[in-house]
Amino acid sequence: MNDKTGELSGRGHIEIDGLTKTYASDAGDITALERIDFDIAPREFVGIVGPSGCGKSTLLRCVGGLIAPSVGEVRIGGDVVIEPDPRIGYVFQQAVLLPWRRVLDNVMLPFEISGRPTAENRAKALEVLEMVGLSEYLNHRPGELSGGMQQRVSVARALVVEPSILLMDEPFGALDAQTRDSMNVELLRIWYESQTTVVFVTHDIGEALFLSDRVMVMSVRPGRVQDVIDVDLPRPRTFTEVEADERFWTLRQRIREQLN
Amino acid sequence: MRRLLRALRSEAWLGRLLVIVSAVVLIVVWHFWARTNSPLILPEPGPVLERLLDYVGSGRANPHIWITVQEIILGFALGGIAGIGLGTLASEFGIARRVIMPYVIVTQALPKFALAPILVIWFGFGMTPKVIIAALIAFFPLLENTYLGLTTAPAEMLELFRALRAGRWTTLTKCKALHAVPAVFSGLRVALMLALVGAVVAEYVGANKGLGALIIVSQGTLDTELMFVAFVQLTVLGLLLDQAHGLVYRLVMRRLYGSVGAEMRAAGVSV
Ligand SMILES: Nc1ncnc2c1ncn2[C@@H]1O[C@H](COP(=O)(O)OP(=O)(O)OP(=O)(O)O)[C@@H](O)[C@H]1O
Ligand SMILES: [Mg+2]
Repeated sequence: MNDKTGELSGRGHIEIDGLTKTYASDAGDITALERIDFDIAPREFVGIVGPSGCGKSTLLRCVGGLIAPSVGEVRIGGDVVIEPDPRIGYVFQQAVLLPWRRVLDNVMLPFEISGRPTAENRAKALEVLEMVGLSEYLNHRPGELSGGMQQRVSVARALVVEPSILLMDEPFGALDAQTRDSMNVELLRIWYESQTTVVFVTHDIGEALFLSDRVMVMSVRPGRVQDVIDVDLPRPRTFTEVEADERFWTLRQRIREQLN
Repeated sequence: MRRLLRALRSEAWLGRLLVIVSAVVLIVVWHFWARTNSPLILPEPGPVLERLLDYVGSGRANPHIWITVQEIILGFALGGIAGIGLGTLASEFGIARRVIMPYVIVTQALPKFALAPILVIWFGFGMTPKVIIAALIAFFPLLENTYLGLTTAPAEMLELFRALRAGRWTTLTKCKALHAVPAVFSGLRVALMLALVGAVVAEYVGANKGLGALIIVSQGTLDTELMFVAFVQLTVLGLLLDQAHGLVYRLVMRRLYGSVGAEMRAAGVSV
């Protein structure tokens, strides 16, 4: 029998098994992913880097149950993924906010859809919005926010349901360096305090190394796992410590060479 | 003086000024043109205005205006509800689309004014045939625009709703319907004007009251002045309906997008 923590951590276990994804298009079939095998442990933080168009978003969509694999399967907590899973929080590459909703109402959307727009959940929404530094903008419409602020709202919307798996597709790509750094620190804190498994796609090798336990490096199309790098930097991490560490620069160099 | 000049430089004020100036020019041209003609062919603006004020002031115009307004509103409402309802069905269910669309195309191909005589035979000289014609003609733009608005919600938004495991109804009411608001309102605007035309033309075919009936009566009595009075009333009625539509549209957009967002959208979307 499972105890509570065992059950919770089991939910965060992602198995990607022989995953191939082919898109049919007018110009012929495009193989976006080819035979991806990858196991992500509960509570693990995995970064994914790879050249543009190598299938990173496609991989997240398969894990999130938004599209079906052509061959192979994804399992979460042992169950084959066939549809979107309520335990997953998704941050898309674009912010995808509803322009007619105020910031707070956008973050409440997951609760409204699942029929739980309670006062308690509203308090949670206020809390995550504070975390991403948008407390002053609760009643603004998305159109009145900068791109980076919009992306932070979408991060808040994913976090608010306290998911056991967080899939993040270049969530901080539109942020300035300082905001991005503070969001990274905040994300690590949330991850550390929760039971969440995080899969984090980024273009920024340094960001991937700073955040992740392991970094998956993908090859150009068709996307394959080119390398998997264990980031054995001690936690909790700070930018100064990480950047002072020789291993960080060695790993960075290694990934950079793989990508060229 | 300087303030006036600055105001003129803003496009909105310049636009208003140009409209007023050109209207005055047109009326002056009408005036002199009319003087070279018999008042039976083209009455002068002055007498038309006098007649209008007398006609409206004495209250004799009221029954005609009231009947036509009722026909327009009823036809618009019925056609609108049917158009929005069937457009929604067609956008949500493939099978509904396959059944509805052939009928819609056939009813569109049939000139609806051609039905007016048979409708008069069936329903008499009352309001019913006019309401039906107005409804039939208001129906199509709403069906089209509702369908268009509901089926063009951005793919990323629909993906978000899928990720959040939203059902069909929730996706329709919380995403697609709100996305469709501008398209539906532009359909409503066209439908309103078409309902007016529909009601008036249907009155030509057989009616004892209404602004269209008034035009036919004045034709029979060679009272061209009265005919122009009816034209003016119809034009004002159309303008008022359009203004009312614009007011509601702006209120809804402001409600949805806030004042800033609504203005930005208004600049991009033709209102
Ligand atoms: N819906 C689709 N239909 C057809 N081809 C697609 C579709 N989505 C993605 N592709 C193709 O699959 C490949 C991988 O796309 P994907 O969006 O996963 O790349 P990515 O690694 O996320 O790129 P980026 O870093 O630029 O976001 C691309 O070559 C793209 O053209
Ligand atoms: Mg991508």
